[in-house]
Amino acid sequence: MSLESSFESSLAASQALHLPRAGRQAPPPEAAASAPGLSRGALAGLLRFAGLLALLAVVAFFAVRVPSFLTPGNIGLILSQSAVLGILGLGLTLVLITGGSDVIRGGIDLSLAGTLGLAAAVFATLNQAGYGDAACVAATLATGLAVGALNALSVTWLRILPLLATLAVMNICAGLELVLTENTTVPAAAPLIDALNLAGPFDLPVIGLVLVAAWLVLAVTLRFTPVGLRAYAVGGHPEAARAAGIALNRYVAGSYIVAGLLGGVAGILSVAFLNAATSGSADMLLPVIATAFLGRMFSRRLVPSVTGTLLAAVFLGALANGFQLLHVSSYWVNGIEGALILAVVGVTSGLAQRGARP
Amino acid sequence: MSLDILDSRRTAAPDLLRFGVPLALALVLVVFSLLAPGFLTLSNIVGVLVNNVALAAIVSIAMTLTVASGGTDLSVGTAVDLGSLAFVSTIIAGQPVWIAALIGVLAGVGTGLFNALLIAGLSITPFLATLGTLFIGHSLQQLTTDGGNPVYVPTGSIPPALAFIGHGSVLGVPLALWLVAVLAIGAWLLLAKSRFGREVLAVGTEPQVALYSGLPVRAVLAFIYIASAAIASIAGILISANVNAYVPYSGNAYLLNSIGAAFIGTSLSRTRRANIPGTLLGVLLLGFVSNGLLLIGWNFYWQQVGSGLLIFLALLLAFTGRRDTA
Repeated sequence: MSLESSFESSLAASQALHLPRAGRQAPPPEAAASAPGLSRGALAGLLRFAGLLALLAVVAFFAVRVPSFLTPGNIGLILSQSAVLGILGLGLTLVLITGGSDVIRGGIDLSLAGTLGLAAAVFATLNQAGYGDAACVAATLATGLAVGALNALSVTWLRILPLLATLAVMNICAGLELVLTENTTVPAAAPLIDALNLAGPFDLPVIGLVLVAAWLVLAVTLRFTPVGLRAYAVGGHPEAARAAGIALNRYVAGSYIVAGLLGGVAGILSVAFLNAATSGSADMLLPVIATAFLGRMFSRRLVPSVTGTLLAAVFLGALANGFQLLHVSSYWVNGIEGALILAVVGVTSGLAQRGARP
Repeated sequence: MSLDILDSRRTAAPDLLRFGVPLALALVLVVFSLLAPGFLTLSNIVGVLVNNVALAAIVSIAMTLTVASGGTDLSVGTAVDLGSLAFVSTIIAGQPVWIAALIGVLAGVGTGLFNALLIAGLSITPFLATLGTLFIGHSLQQLTTDGGNPVYVPTGSIPPALAFIGHGSVLGVPLALWLVAVLAIGAWLLLAKSRFGREVLAVGTEPQVALYSGLPVRAVLAFIYIASAAIASIAGILISANVNAYVPYSGNAYLLNSIGAAFIGTSLSRTRRANIPGTLLGVLLLGFVSNGLLLIGWNFYWQQVGSGLLIFLALLLAFTGRRDTA
């Protein structure tokens, strides 16, 4: 397995070898990280610290420079601005967990941004056609599920390389979206959209709360159920997982299907956030990938984790929001994001190498 | 565990399956020439080669190098754009076209150098390093063009050399196709016929083994990413010469198709390595599919769906029956 991975991810893979034997009631992977030895554990703690430190530094910087940054209203705004990106990132994270995070041969879902666009188009088109909320939501989620199922089928049954299969599916989704919207903005208005834009408990907008809820469900499932442990085993050490009697394909397929469903949810949220289905959802692809991979830097062992992805999405959202409040030209935002990603990745991969070589 | 690796990596695909992509291409050609009368004419084929294939082929050649070394270059589009930006700016500054072209390629080399620094120097995964470069390149273009406004070469003062690069032909063959041929042969010689190419493939397939065998892994990677960006910037120069302008972010349009072409091409190799002939077949397949769908009168929206589906079918042909994808 480690030979198969690319230069750097082989390091992550070699760490993944310390995954407890699947099937046994072992502690979840995150908790088991300290098992191989104290020094590794201490270093691992430092790694997690590096990602969080960057996040805290950014938050502190903005909080000092802009007094309104840490107000509940603005935090809610950051959450709802991060919601679509975060939900898609969570989906990709699941695929990375069961597929292994080798970009080329492991799991990846390039179709998520396409799913978002198609789902949003389905929702807005049906809404314009006069269907009620329940029908719109059902059709949108079904669209997401169908895309996810197509990905799952291609990857597990037809054995097409995930990178390529989801690339083709992305094209299909983008095409179908154009067929539905004819490349125009389709407005949408519905009671559901109003409800999603309202402030819920803690003064947080409901859109942001949906992100938090999705994270909570996935985090609890992955951490406290056998399903979570097995999912990590399938991606981290497939041979051991197979030997332990885990149906690999079922987990891999499941991750693509749930990712597709989350794509459908993201579609609804994006229509709610923008009050319309707009073109240009394909631009979300690279930020989604950045979020899921940046999320690895928040996990102690540099594995994909839903909590890390949530933090990464909020991190990127806070950056964009903070710069906006500082009146920094939006032209800078992408570059600074890129530089920060590189800085965080550079520091953590440097530390990881030192840790991985005994 | 290592036994499994050897199994999955070395198992030669049954010979029949290696012909999946050529077969798909042949099928596409036959079906469209039956459906669309104008498809199999010389002018249409040259049109497809010049308009749909040439630029994509150059970017895909660049991508193939990085895929062969076990990575990907998500910033090929950035190199295209920065090459184009530097080229057009230099021409507008009144410099001769050949100096502008040189500076355009140098901009590509600069982009590649930045990637090389991150990947070979700081040991950042190529995927993430080039993703960072892509983001930074996006900002750079926004800042230099005030948010993405195209930069035009004034219509009155278009140098003849620029028009020649954009629309000229040598011996009746468009210049762009000559460039594709030269780059393809050069990259093919480098990858398939040289000692360096074997080192690249070694780094790409078994990085640890390559490292322990004493190969200069970092130097190989650095060279590959610089070469990739330099080649991509040539596509940028061609685009600018074609439209007499620099259009921000236009290079990114080639990113996903170049990844697709390079990986579709791997199905041609017994060991599933990236290779130049396979990549070119992949580019041809994508180009002819979109042209064919256009000719049989599908509107632009359905063309997207159709080409997605056809690529999917091509992948099916290339991958079905293989057991080594997991």
